[in-house]
Amino acid sequence: MKPGEVLFDGVGKTYRVKGRRGRHETLKGVLFSRKGRRKAVAPADFQALDSIDVAVKPGEVVALLGPNGSGKSTFLKLAGGILRPTSGRVVSEGRITALIELGAGFHPEITGWENVIINGMLLGLSRREVEERMDDILEFAGIGDFIDRPVKTYSSGMYVRLGFAVAVAVDPDILLIDEVLAVGDEAFVARCLDRLARMRRRGVTMILVTHDLDMAAAFADRGIYLDQGCVVADGPTDQIVARYRGDVAGDRVAPEKMRNPVRVLEEGRRWGNGDVEILDVEIRADGRPVRLLPSGSAAEVRINYQVHRSVKDFVFGVAWHGADGTMVSGHNTDLDGLDGNQLEGRGQVSCVYDAVPLAAGPYTLDVAVHAKDGLAYDYWCRAGELRVTAPVQWPGFWAPGHRWQGPPTLWK
Amino acid sequence: MTHAVLLWRQRALVGVLVRRELSARYRASVLGFFWSLLNPLLLLVVYAFVFTTIFQPRFPGGQPYPLFLFAGLLPWMFFSGAILDAAVTMVDNGPLLAKVMCPPEIFPAVTVMSHLVNHLFALPVLVAAMAVAAWFGAHPFPWTIVFLPLALVPWVLTTAGVAAAVAAGAVHFRDLRDLVGHLLNLLFFSSPIIYSLDGLDLHPTLMTALRLNPFASLVEVYRDLAFGGRIPETGTALTAMLVGLGVFFLGTWVFSRMRDTIVEAV
Repeated sequence: MKPGEVLFDGVGKTYRVKGRRGRHETLKGVLFSRKGRRKAVAPADFQALDSIDVAVKPGEVVALLGPNGSGKSTFLKLAGGILRPTSGRVVSEGRITALIELGAGFHPEITGWENVIINGMLLGLSRREVEERMDDILEFAGIGDFIDRPVKTYSSGMYVRLGFAVAVAVDPDILLIDEVLAVGDEAFVARCLDRLARMRRRGVTMILVTHDLDMAAAFADRGIYLDQGCVVADGPTDQIVARYRGDVAGDRVAPEKMRNPVRVLEEGRRWGNGDVEILDVEIRADGRPVRLLPSGSAAEVRINYQVHRSVKDFVFGVAWHGADGTMVSGHNTDLDGLDGNQLEGRGQVSCVYDAVPLAAGPYTLDVAVHAKDGLAYDYWCRAGELRVTAPVQWPGFWAPGHRWQGPPTLWK
Repeated sequence: MTHAVLLWRQRALVGVLVRRELSARYRASVLGFFWSLLNPLLLLVVYAFVFTTIFQPRFPGGQPYPLFLFAGLLPWMFFSGAILDAAVTMVDNGPLLAKVMCPPEIFPAVTVMSHLVNHLFALPVLVAAMAVAAWFGAHPFPWTIVFLPLALVPWVLTTAGVAAAVAAGAVHFRDLRDLVGHLLNLLFFSSPIIYSLDGLDLHPTLMTALRLNPFASLVEVYRDLAFGGRIPETGTALTAMLVGLGVFFLGTWVFSRMRDTIVEAV
């Protein structure tokens, strides 16, 4: 395996439920229980993760999504080797740093400087390596002379800044992040994100747990949606975020309204509660359906729908993806300021493009109709496919018309 | 064996953690590290006063009794202090264990090592007390005290073994923390620390039981060198060494059995 790779192979993790201690957890239990009673007091177990198979490639940035108690933190701790799986196998290759609780293990009575040395060594550096990075750490933490004072005199912000500075100074192959960016002021969060983005460009594998879905969508390449210890969905972040948003919105709906629950129509590709159904999606140019589109030409995405239960709150959306799953563009009727009237019967909605200035290559389209709060009526990933053609194979996704200028003698 | 290897690899980390523990302990106090000297000194003064002017102990020991007792109590304080701290070290370091990947083996080792350092700081007091006694002609100076580091080897091994087992055990069986104090008391009185086995007039069965206490050899080896001024008998020294190795391997084996579940139980 290469450094930065993380592999979960049939991993399960079972916790013993606290408060209901097993027979062997108090000495009294060990000493005074009879063999015959063993079965009667079998401890209640809690399955935090159940047969998880996930492979994370080096340099991949993965966001773990899911409700509280879905196993996200357990996943992180297993990846970091802090916990061991009850079944299966976890392999994490390379140096790992966990940003789980910043400044965990700072001792309040000793100075920040000494704490940095100890924390750095706990994270796997030698004393000399920590000292070499001290300037960098101090600059990032920005706590000035406080570094020579006991940590108990620090404000909580200073504490967190120093913790973050040490953790990222370790220069890991794998970085595990658990909700740490929820603390700290905005300026600090911005600096952290900048630092993380630079680490990401260096090819550091990251696995992060966050409830900030926008941040997850912006930052991660891949989303893994966990619920009750199982992987519900795994794929490009924006799809997974949309799916998760839909489920969360579905949960919020009061039961007396008797809406259909969100259900999966096609595993991993299509889900929704079926109030509105997308019948088909056509990509059209020059008045007919196309599979090939010259770069820069006009196009239309036509959505045929069938309403099964009339709705007032509806949003049509389209998202374009490149071959590697990167979102190229996304737009919906809500963001474009269209407010729905009433959606009934069968119908047709088109998104019309004056020009599609995309670089040559294959693209896929996700098409969805959902409520404003994200509840999916029908969310269809890779509903349409298209190959953009161009005389020159521009790298990247964007191929705008352009020209070069300079002194006339510069080029032949 | 892997336990010892792991600790050796992490020696730099153990070193800084021991320093942290020691400097944190005395950081807020006026006298700081002097307490390592002052504690045994005050203890010696109290015992000397109690056992010379208030009452004469009726059980047999060496003369002068305060020095005899001091040479037994010092290593015992190292042992019992380390074990009591080991019972809480995993919980105290819970945040580190749960949030940073670090081997749990190091925490009981750090406890033992910081108590060892404290013990070493107390040795000058022991030497000074022996020298004062020799000056006044109360007791010949035990020159064998220079070999004391050898006597500490089985002590450190035994302490490390018990500390590892207790540290891991206390995480799973919280009752152990309360129990440890009482078990230590029992061991204290059944070991020849405040008395000497020679000349004790007891029922033969009880006598045999006391002689079989493996801990007795440790106490005797230490006291022979630090107080008696004689090289311990080969049998006793060998027993002490075997006890040290045995307890170390047994303790670390117990630790290894519980190692994987420590983090979640903390």
